Amino acid sequence: MTLHTTHVDWFGLGPVFVLIGASFVALLCAVLVPRAVRRLASATIAGAGFTAALVLAVWLYVDSANGHTIVSGAFYRDRWTALGQVILCAIGLATTLLGVEHIPGWGRSSDPGRRDDHIAEFFALLLASGAGMAFFVGAANLMVLFLSLEWFSIALYVMCAIDYDPFAASVGGKAADARPEDRDAFGVAGGSLEAGLKYLIVGSFGAGTLLFGSALVYGAAGTVSFDGIARAVASQGLTGDTFLVTGIALIVAGLGFKMSAAPFHMWTPDVYEGAPTTVTAWMSSATKVAALLLAFRLMTTAFPHDEHLWSWAFAIVATVSLAIGNFAALVQRNVKRILAYSSISHAGFMLIGLSAGSALGGRALMYYLVPYSAMAFGSFAIVAARERELGVPVTLENLAGFGWERPFLGVAMWFFMFGFAGLPLGGGFVGKFYVLAAAYRHGWVWLVIVGVLATLVSLYYYLGIVRAMYMRPSAELQVQPGGSVAVSGGAPAKEELLHVAVGAAFVVSLGSLFAVQPLIELARHAARAFPL
Amino acid sequence: MLGPDVAWYVAVAAVLFGIGALGVLIRRNTLVVLLSLELMLNAGNLALIALSRHWHNGSGQIFALAVMAVAASEVCVGLGLVVALNRRRLSLDVDTLSELRG
Repeated sequence: MTLHTTHVDWFGLGPVFVLIGASFVALLCAVLVPRAVRRLASATIAGAGFTAALVLAVWLYVDSANGHTIVSGAFYRDRWTALGQVILCAIGLATTLLGVEHIPGWGRSSDPGRRDDHIAEFFALLLASGAGMAFFVGAANLMVLFLSLEWFSIALYVMCAIDYDPFAASVGGKAADARPEDRDAFGVAGGSLEAGLKYLIVGSFGAGTLLFGSALVYGAAGTVSFDGIARAVASQGLTGDTFLVTGIALIVAGLGFKMSAAPFHMWTPDVYEGAPTTVTAWMSSATKVAALLLAFRLMTTAFPHDEHLWSWAFAIVATVSLAIGNFAALVQRNVKRILAYSSISHAGFMLIGLSAGSALGGRALMYYLVPYSAMAFGSFAIVAARERELGVPVTLENLAGFGWERPFLGVAMWFFMFGFAGLPLGGGFVGKFYVLAAAYRHGWVWLVIVGVLATLVSLYYYLGIVRAMYMRPSAELQVQPGGSVAVSGGAPAKEELLHVAVGAAFVVSLGSLFAVQPLIELARHAARAFPL
Repeated sequence: MLGPDVAWYVAVAAVLFGIGALGVLIRRNTLVVLLSLELMLNAGNLALIALSRHWHNGSGQIFALAVMAVAASEVCVGLGLVVALNRRRLSLDVDTLSELRG
């Protein structure tokens, strides 16, 4: 008897395997490496894993000019996948740098010696979620799509809840009656667990919706592979089929939850606020990259014949996201919540590029993701630094004087806020310009107007953060420094790795303005993967 | 084909999905919410298996098998979080989990 096994292109799956392998090694650190060096060892493995995957992804980009599917049509090996993996691995590397200093220890309140007991698990989960996302962007059928979506989501649920101090429970009822000032560590008492559970419930709701939609699409087309669905729809004239249309609607909703687009955004502010800020930085940038790149591929490859339906659906979701994200951000005082609503509104901007459904839209989306993820990551990293300094959640009030106390981080935050707002200081401006150009080319002037109006509204809260940092005397600062890890005397901690990560984000968001042409060229090659 | 038409199976799956979604939205107990999430995933499974039979190919069945493994790991994480919350003596009522609100 001979056993026929499918041919596996191991190189094409290289980045995924490197990341998941590094995740296993990092997990072994948790049991084999002495506690004293565990943080350093697992972070080194994470850094090495992301770097190796980044190199492999760049190599794959160069080597995959002719996009094709591998492993029996389960995975795309093309430049769209490779470029997405490059962006994801770069964010992962920056998150690793941030995590070394900013993932709070476990059980820190009782025994400082045991703080790093469970730090290796964080890096293992970070690598595992990175691997899931690297797999997700290349999915070529609905089954791989669902599996990899749950792969990175489940890792993220645990990461959100990782700031959990089991020893705090012994102080009965502490969580309930703690004053805001002495809530434990980086934020809210019990907030991390609550964030994890909320994300799990809402994320699984989205996944269930996506699964049922996938089942209906399979019912209409009789196949789960993206190009198979497109062929079946074309040959059997299924464009208006009830199963197919309902399925597409449910899939759009399911992906909407992952990219935190309104009206599927309710979880975003709560989860971004409650999760440890390092995890928030990772989620807000990487999850969005993965979900948007996959959504563009799925819609243009599997459902090109229903473009008139999904482009309208995404245009409406984009409009709602822009409206809700920007107006809700105006009334927030907590900086993490402001940034969460800002990420909802940026999902709206990127969905404008997606809704155009053209090669230009694809280029615009791919380009936009580069400065966006750098700015989102960088701004949350700066919030993490302030949080560590104060030991309480960062609000507009206790941001007073930050720009003068920590000049580099202040300038970087100032720059990110201007970039988010779309002022022509960074790549955010060109990104917005490109997505609006794609909408204009599609003939949707109204969508361009919505985008411009949203930008105007957003200026208010982005400039509000800059104003809070620079234009208020630090005497206004009501909260005395003194969190559980704050350095005595109020002198800022030396956080070299955080500065490196923020500096890299700064360079990328500024560089994407000057390197527009090369980046657009890369995105153009990537978008050639699609039949547009 | 023996038995009811495939449309009936999909209809039952759609009803199950609706019950699950409604349960997530209106039930207050976290454990019941997790149960409802499982119901949503299993509605997808039922539809996949029925449609797999309809199309005479195995994709749907394999898909459903993989979904079962995913559902198990998801509920594993969910129950872990519920136990951790319970240890901190926080309530399991989702309405009182409102520290994160602005």
